[in-house]
Amino acid sequence: MNPALHRLGGALLAAGYLPERASSIAAGVDHVFGFLFWLSAFFLALILGLTALFVVRYRERPDRPAPEPCPDHDDRLELLWIAVPLVLVLILFVASTRVYLAMTSLEPGAAPLRVDVTARKWSWWFDHPGGKGSKELHLVAGRPVELVLASTDVIHSLYVPEFRLKQDAVPGRFTRMVFTPTVAGTFQVLCAEYCGTNHSAMSAPVIVHPDQAAFDAWAAEGQGGGGGGAVSLLQVGKAVYDEKGCSGCHSVDGTPGVGPSFKGIWGKVHALQGGGSAKVDEAYVRESIVNPGAKVVVGFENLMPPIPLEEREVQGIITFLQSVKEGP
Amino acid sequence: MSGDAAREARADAAAPSPYLAHHFPSMAAQLETSKLGLWLFLGSEVLFFSGLFTAYGVFRANHWALFHYAHHFLDWRMGALNTVVLVSSSLTAAWSVRSAQLGDRRGLLRNLALTLVLASVFLVVKYFEYSHKLHNGVGWGAACHPSAEILASLPDAARALPVPRDLGVFFSVYYVMTGLHGIHVLVGMGLYLWLLTRASRGHFGAGYYVPVDAVALYWHLVDLIWIFLFPLLYLIG
Amino acid sequence: MTPAEAALAAPAVAGESYLTHRRGVRSWLFTLDHKRIGIMYLALISACLLLGGVFALVVRLHLWSPGGALVSNDSYNKMFTLHGAVMIFLFVIPGIPSALGNFVLPLQVGAKDVAFPRVNLLSFWLFCAGAVLFVATLVAGGLDTGWTLYPPYSLESSRGLGILLALSGVFLAGFSSILTGVNFIATIHRMRAPGMGWFDLPLFLWALYATGIIQIFATPVLGITVALGFLERLFHLGIFMPEYGGDPVLFQHFFWFYSHPAVYIMILPAMGIVSEVVSVFSRKPIFGYRFIAMSSIAIAVIGFFVWGHHMFVSGQSRWSNLVFSFLTLLVAIPSAIKTFNWLATMYKGAIVLKTPMLYVLSFFAIFGVGGLTGLFLGALATDIPLHDTYFVVAHFHFVMVGAVMIAFLAGLHYWWPKLTGRMYDERTGIASAILVFLGFNLTFIPQFLVGVAGMPRRYATYAARFQGMNRLSTVGAFVLTLGLGFALYGLLASLRRSGARAPANPWGAATLEWSAASPPITENFAVPPLGRRPYDYTGLRKVSDEAGWVGVEEGAR
Repeated sequence: MNPALHRLGGALLAAGYLPERASSIAAGVDHVFGFLFWLSAFFLALILGLTALFVVRYRERPDRPAPEPCPDHDDRLELLWIAVPLVLVLILFVASTRVYLAMTSLEPGAAPLRVDVTARKWSWWFDHPGGKGSKELHLVAGRPVELVLASTDVIHSLYVPEFRLKQDAVPGRFTRMVFTPTVAGTFQVLCAEYCGTNHSAMSAPVIVHPDQAAFDAWAAEGQGGGGGGAVSLLQVGKAVYDEKGCSGCHSVDGTPGVGPSFKGIWGKVHALQGGGSAKVDEAYVRESIVNPGAKVVVGFENLMPPIPLEEREVQGIITFLQSVKEGP
Repeated sequence: MSGDAAREARADAAAPSPYLAHHFPSMAAQLETSKLGLWLFLGSEVLFFSGLFTAYGVFRANHWALFHYAHHFLDWRMGALNTVVLVSSSLTAAWSVRSAQLGDRRGLLRNLALTLVLASVFLVVKYFEYSHKLHNGVGWGAACHPSAEILASLPDAARALPVPRDLGVFFSVYYVMTGLHGIHVLVGMGLYLWLLTRASRGHFGAGYYVPVDAVALYWHLVDLIWIFLFPLLYLIG
Repeated sequence: MTPAEAALAAPAVAGESYLTHRRGVRSWLFTLDHKRIGIMYLALISACLLLGGVFALVVRLHLWSPGGALVSNDSYNKMFTLHGAVMIFLFVIPGIPSALGNFVLPLQVGAKDVAFPRVNLLSFWLFCAGAVLFVATLVAGGLDTGWTLYPPYSLESSRGLGILLALSGVFLAGFSSILTGVNFIATIHRMRAPGMGWFDLPLFLWALYATGIIQIFATPVLGITVALGFLERLFHLGIFMPEYGGDPVLFQHFFWFYSHPAVYIMILPAMGIVSEVVSVFSRKPIFGYRFIAMSSIAIAVIGFFVWGHHMFVSGQSRWSNLVFSFLTLLVAIPSAIKTFNWLATMYKGAIVLKTPMLYVLSFFAIFGVGGLTGLFLGALATDIPLHDTYFVVAHFHFVMVGAVMIAFLAGLHYWWPKLTGRMYDERTGIASAILVFLGFNLTFIPQFLVGVAGMPRRYATYAARFQGMNRLSTVGAFVLTLGLGFALYGLLASLRRSGARAPANPWGAATLEWSAASPPITENFAVPPLGRRPYDYTGLRKVSDEAGWVGVEEGAR
């Protein structure tokens, strides 16, 4: 957007009015905010100014007991104040939409840092790549992030004011947010969807590391040495695969069994019985566990019973599926 | 004032009726206003059910296999029978309005009674459907655990499939939609009973038939909703 | 008889005021008179405003310090829930239509009553029952779900009676609202005075008409939603609760399909009042009548298609978000039409600064802010960070409290002479208008600031850096309360024996209700009136402050 708006946004920021900008889209959001702020200020000033002017000027006084002659409508004038707001609203919509699309898109070709986020009353849990789980969200400045959100109880919402981003975590489904943190430092994840007693205390630190090396160093801390004793999602997924009977029908070496093999299945698009196709992603895997008959891959039968799994076990299976890659 | 004469003339033109409310100038105005009010209320009713139809659409789109499986539990013959019963009752309801307009008191009583009887038949059939399901564990939501007998009675194609986990969701939709419709049938029966007592006292005739007309309109809506419910629930796939 | 005496002697024809026509409690509770029903609504919703206001003050006091100054987190959560639920379902939604609308609508069309007086009484009783259930919720241990009642939180199996009572209360209040809407639309369609065309309707009635459309066609969706919620809680249907296979986001769609249009149930009648008052107190016909009338209908219609803007971060698809954002922003246009037409009405007028007009002037400022901040929440880029922060709280208070409550007060002062036959004290009225304006802004402007800075809503405790703003807001709430106290005192004091009697037409307004006596007789008009132009002031002449205005030919008689 144009430099004037840049400056306006900057002025608001400098006044301590807006939180720090710590993600790649924060500046874009602030431009739209600045545009709207000054647009609103202008119209508010216009409304207040005209009101004050008319009240002073056209007040009923002994020397002015009656209104002056004045038409009771003027279609051209009224069309003008339809047209002007319409144009401004269209400009706003276009500007806002451009930023919004950036806010919800991964940079093309980026290999994002994927973090599985679990919200529950009243804390957050973050499973980082490499199996490290933590109550803190660890990111790398400049590296795109993909957060896959789940909730084990009620709706929560992950909100980091400095990133200008927010996304609900809804039980029974996955939601996703993508962004790129730009500033190394510590911020706070807040819960923005009311969730009960300690809603206002449901926060967690976000630590943005200056570079990948710092992140890796953190990720390696305590690995294998207990480190809080948290079991990684991959371990959970493996255990589910072995113990809940998945392995009876789904191989991991590509051999077709009663059900499709898990090898290289993640991200593939399968043709379905009854037409249509489905990409194997988080939503598909969840549905296939809860309602196995809903989307059956062509060439297989609808035989699988529903498997009751905990939220973390579903996340585990998904991580496990991602780990069973194509190749020798 | 100049308006007075016109107003008095209008008041004279209307036959003084004991059923004319004080705030209407004429019976015709009263009839028109009442019908408009009723149409608005029926519009509201349509939106009331539309919430359920939307829920139905959302769940069917998200669980089409489940809905297809679940509809085997419903007996389309019962549904079809009830459709015939309800459509017939709409006919007698419409006929009752005609009888009232013609001042045919016996015809009116007969048609009101017939409508009431057909409505009862509908609910009796519904009762058999419900009790058959509930005896076989096919409740709604979390209370849906179909018995071995009912599973065995399913068509071959469905019998081979595992019982879906969220089967109860279909029956929640089924019971809520048909239940709410059933409540409307009950209310309609109450209204027809009320009309019958009033008609037997000779309240209605060519000059005054607002309630007969209004209840019939309501009854047609109840019928219409069933005409949508029947294929959506019984004839999936 | 001099004109002054003639005016004071009104009602000219024999007939008793509706207030004294019959006496005794039963004559009120079972009345079919729309005026008495309106007065009963007024009393009841004022009581609800008081109740909701007490909750609000507790909330504000608790937020005096970051750690929570007054109550436990759980109690705080109950307080803001009941504050929201009582204010929205029992005050703001029914307030203007049911209380003032019921009283004024038949008078403005020149009818003896609404189309269906019995249905009107039924509607009142349903509303009472709904209100009683809310009070029962309070007694049954309260409710801490937020007024939006989002599952799964609101329908968790540990929840007791409270949620069931509240859902039933919402259902009954909603049913009452539907019946009111049916009554209003039928009355406007069929019971207009002879000679009153559609474009001779006062703009308040256009607003009530548009409101009626929403009441009739949006409220039933809320009805079915709370009914499903009720059954879900009791029987685990699996419609909304994910643990049984349900979809909690479906609830949000259903809920906002009603609750966003409900915002227009609140604001449209408020705008109608503003249109009446601004014309009467500028002594000039309303500017652009047809555009204002049509913009009400436009808001009602667009209002049905914008609900998804409450769900931009719920996981709704990108494309639905874009469509909902676009439609939401379009609401700015009819709002702009109204605002500029009101301003143009004042242009070259003879503006009289009485209490109703002062409230309307503050409406311009507050609705201006409320409407413009709505753009921030309709635009996706800014809504995502601002959603569920105090910015939203401040925005909807500017619209629902600022604009609606202030217009309600404007309308209440404007029609008070007609309602009661008494003139309120002008100085107290002016003081109340100024205090309400100042208190309101002091309460809610700081909330915009903390919202932008990232303070989420519904927080029992908050970061220390927001303390200053929160304290300002709390102080403001008390100033606002004081202003409302002044308004209440000024109005009630006029009911004393010594209160000044109101003439039939104290403001020189041209709509039909002012040709009835103050207070009107039970049948409303001694002689059923003919339709006339609602904003044509040429036939009116002021006699004196005490005797008000009379028609030119009437005065000459």
